[in-house]
Parts: sequence; structure tokens; C-alpha cells
Amino acid sequence: MNDAALDAIRTRRVVRALTDAPVGHDQLRTVLDSARYAPHAGNRRLHRYVVATQPSLLRAMRMVSPGMLQRPMAAIVICVDWAQVHSYGFSPANPGPYIDVGTAAATLLLAAHSIGLGAGPVTSFSRTALAAILKLPAGVRPELIVCLGHAAAEQPPAMRRQGGPRWDDLIQWERGSARSVPDAPSRG
Amino acid sequence: MTAETEDEPVRVLEEGDGVELLAYLVTAARTQVDEAAEYAPMRLLTAAGRLAEMAEPNASARMRPLLRDIRQGCSETAVQAGDPAGYVERLDALCRTVAEYLVRSLGLDRSP
Repeated sequence: MNDAALDAIRTRRVVRALTDAPVGHDQLRTVLDSARYAPHAGNRRLHRYVVATQPSLLRAMRMVSPGMLQRPMAAIVICVDWAQVHSYGFSPANPGPYIDVGTAAATLLLAAHSIGLGAGPVTSFSRTALAAILKLPAGVRPELIVCLGHAAAEQPPAMRRQGGPRWDDLIQWERGSARSVPDAPSRG
Repeated sequence: MTAETEDEPVRVLEEGDGVELLAYLVTAARTQVDEAAEYAPMRLLTAAGRLAEMAEPNASARMRPLLRDIRQGCSETAVQAGDPAGYVERLDALCRTVAEYLVRSLGLDRSP
């Protein structure tokens, strides 16, 4: 059993406060290259990665990203090349490209954590504004930002909720009982 | 944005800060179309907290306690589901703080 991998998974946290210590180029490259190893359906290379390190660019990105609480020293923007997605004949309702954004993001976050960086994902931003700021090609849309830096000693509290289900309540082993199956949506 | 002093209004917001806040508000309006409704007050409070942070260095002594109260009362990660009753109570407390400042700063407490 690889305890290091499990330890990384269990100790990674969303980092929402970062210091102004820079992220080294080699560190950034290590995190970025980890996404090559993320599982992607069909290995179609439908995703693009934009790396931002310039302070003015990072500041502009933060201005159009209400979900970006941290002030990152670097950021990797995961984009989907929707023109290429369409060329493969994907239905617009196919969630595959979004799922692969998630696998890439999880891999980037774990890679950052494994080399001692703090990282946090951001999905609340204006796709239109960020695409313009990053000067993305037509058909390429930003879908998730991974903020990078060094974790500050003091972090904002994690989001808390009352009355949520326990972890084991979210898991179904084998076939469910009829009572636990939610109503299927009606078909018109 | 200016703060009234005994003598004359004081500019409390730099242009760059104003642009930052403007961009935040416009893009938050767009993102909120797709996001969970519980994020809406959180985004507004974040904007209020950032405005208070930007304004505090140049604000008048009379205004600073208000700005500090706003900053302290604005958690960027709190949502109503975390403490439904407490969340509303804290918002009401912030509203009360703002109202009390308005009464004092506009001289309403001296009105007949």
C-alpha cells in the first residue's frame, strides 16, 4: 500500500489564504505536468491549460472571479476546447469534458500539496471576462482555476453546514432497497 | 467614495480599488445566475468587506469603527446552512450597526 499517496489525499485542504512568497518555476512546472497523468476519457486532449504568474494578470483574474478569496502567486486555468469537443461529435449534454476538468483539477491540487504548496480551486468566475483577459482562442472556455501559493498560517474557516448527512449515509453498497431509490423523472 | 468630516468630504477610495470592486460586483451578478442561491448574500457581504478594507486607511475617525465592524462581521465562507438562525441574527446585527452609524452621521439623533 502506498501510504504517501493516501496521506496526501487525506491531508490536502482547500487553501484560501496565501502568503506573498513566490512559487518557483520548477514547482509550477511540476504541478502543471501532473495533469498529464490525470485520467481523461479517450485521451482526446480536449483541455487546455493556461499558466498565469504576472501580478497584474493575476490581479485582473481575481477581479472577475468572485469565488477567488485568495490572492494567488500563480494560477493554472483549466480550459475546455469546445470547438474540438464538438468536432468529436459530443452531444452538448455530455458531461465528459467537465468530468475531465475535475480529474485534472484533483490531480493538480494533490500535486501542489505533495510539494508543499497551498492550492485552491475556483469555479465562480465570469467565463466571458476571464476568456477576454487571458486572450483565449475562439471556442476555448475557462472552466476552473487552480490558485497556487504558500499557505498562510491563518486560514478562513471552512464552510460549515448543519444537519447534513453522515458520510456513510451517502454510500450505497450493492443494489439499493426500493425505498431508497429516488423517484425517476417522468418522461414526456 | 467620500467620507464626511467636520470640515469637508474626504476621498476614501482609490480609483484602482473602485475598479476592483466594480469588476467584482458585475461578474458576481453573472456568476450568481448559475450558482446556489445561498451564495448571493455571501457575495454581497464579501463586497461589503472588501469595500470596508479599501476605505479604512483613508476614512475619518468617525467612520473607521463602522468599517471595522463590517469587516469583522463579514465572513467570506459563512453560508446560512451553517447556522440558519445565527446567520440571520448576524446580518441583522450588521444592519443595526449601519443604521446606528447613519443616525449619528446624519445628525438624526439631534433632530426633534
